[in-house]
Amino acid sequence: MERGEKTNMHEFPIIELGGLSFDLSSIIAIVVSTVICMVLGVLATRKLSVANPSKMQNFMEWTLEFVHNTVASTMPLDKAKKFINLAATLIMFIFVSNLLGLPFGVTFDAHHEVKWGNVVVVSQELVDEKGGAAHIAFWKSPTADIAVTSGLAIVSFFLIHFLGLKMNAKHYIKHYFKPFWIFFPLNIVEQVARPVSLALRLYANIFAGEVLISTILMLKWFGIPLLAVWQGFSIFVGAIQAFLFTVLTMVYISQAIVHEEHEEH
Amino acid sequence: MSFVPSSTIIAIISFILLYWFLSKYAFGPLFGIMEKRRELVQEQITTAEQNRKQSEQQLAEQKQALQDARKEAYEIIEQARLTSTKQADDIMDTAKSEASRMKNEAVKDIETEKNKAIAALRGEVSGMSVKIASKIIEKQIDEKSQEQLVDKYLKEVGGKS
Repeated sequence: MERGEKTNMHEFPIIELGGLSFDLSSIIAIVVSTVICMVLGVLATRKLSVANPSKMQNFMEWTLEFVHNTVASTMPLDKAKKFINLAATLIMFIFVSNLLGLPFGVTFDAHHEVKWGNVVVVSQELVDEKGGAAHIAFWKSPTADIAVTSGLAIVSFFLIHFLGLKMNAKHYIKHYFKPFWIFFPLNIVEQVARPVSLALRLYANIFAGEVLISTILMLKWFGIPLLAVWQGFSIFVGAIQAFLFTVLTMVYISQAIVHEEHEEH
Repeated sequence: MSFVPSSTIIAIISFILLYWFLSKYAFGPLFGIMEKRRELVQEQITTAEQNRKQSEQQLAEQKQALQDARKEAYEIIEQARLTSTKQADDIMDTAKSEASRMKNEAVKDIETEKNKAIAALRGEVSGMSVKIASKIIEKQIDEKSQEQLVDKYLKEVGGKS
């Protein structure tokens, strides 16, 4: 991208604290998503009833059963509980995160250096680089940040291999040398490609959506119908991506832990 | 766009936190409820099955009881009929024997009375004939020979009769 075009894009407030840099907008977004998920989860399961479930409870139960069917339909409910919890948390967090950037944006134009106490929020260099006016966005989808999607992918990666080693060690290690030992590097590449693809897919979809939204916003009034359409489509994309991430994670986990009987003979 | 590693760490931490929180406060209770509902349904199915079996058994029992009652009623009616027939026969027999007894007694009475009457008549007749004869033949013969004569005649008459 050329410098001139880049002036239209938002910059994110990155602060330096004790030698580490923190992306304020990402942190805000993560915290907000987490809190929304917590509140939603608690609200949805507030008045639980065995005999007379509310609509919300029905929906939550339907979700859990759907996840159960997708993730581990062969596992009994008590054994699959952890995986269902994980999958439900993943799908909820990613979905909420994906939608977080859609409804509004908090931006301001910085024309000179912004400081909170001693902490530099917007550096003078950045302002200068943008030609004296940097668009700073404090609000975005956390999943529109590759650092965040990487975090989720790392969680997924760690779980796949930890669970594979813990629950199905012999088979898990063996599978790296299938069908022949010479395939070992290829299998390693496959294992590494999985979380990378998970992180990049999610990030790219959501980030592209947000870029398009800010691009449409440049159209001012003419952009309204387009924006409505694109927002609707973004909800759909957000749901699909959340579902994809979750299902892929679960498929990888089940591949790692499920003992395939027919290969033994 | 830059990659900020701290965001990754924060994302991981908050995801783990969220997982813990949701499994403890949202999905955990929900699973509990779902498990409870499963148990409830299971229990209700079992209860329904039991009730069905019980009602079937009761129906059979009632049918049996009805059958028994019907049989008993039939027996009672039959017995009553037998008893009444027997009783009627008894009454008839008693009446018949009573009647024949009364008839026999009457016949006996009649016989006795007749004999009595005959004896009385005989006495009377003998007295009267004595008187008549004495009156007729008072003067002709004495008392003793006359009586002998009368007796002789009377015996002849009695023997004839």
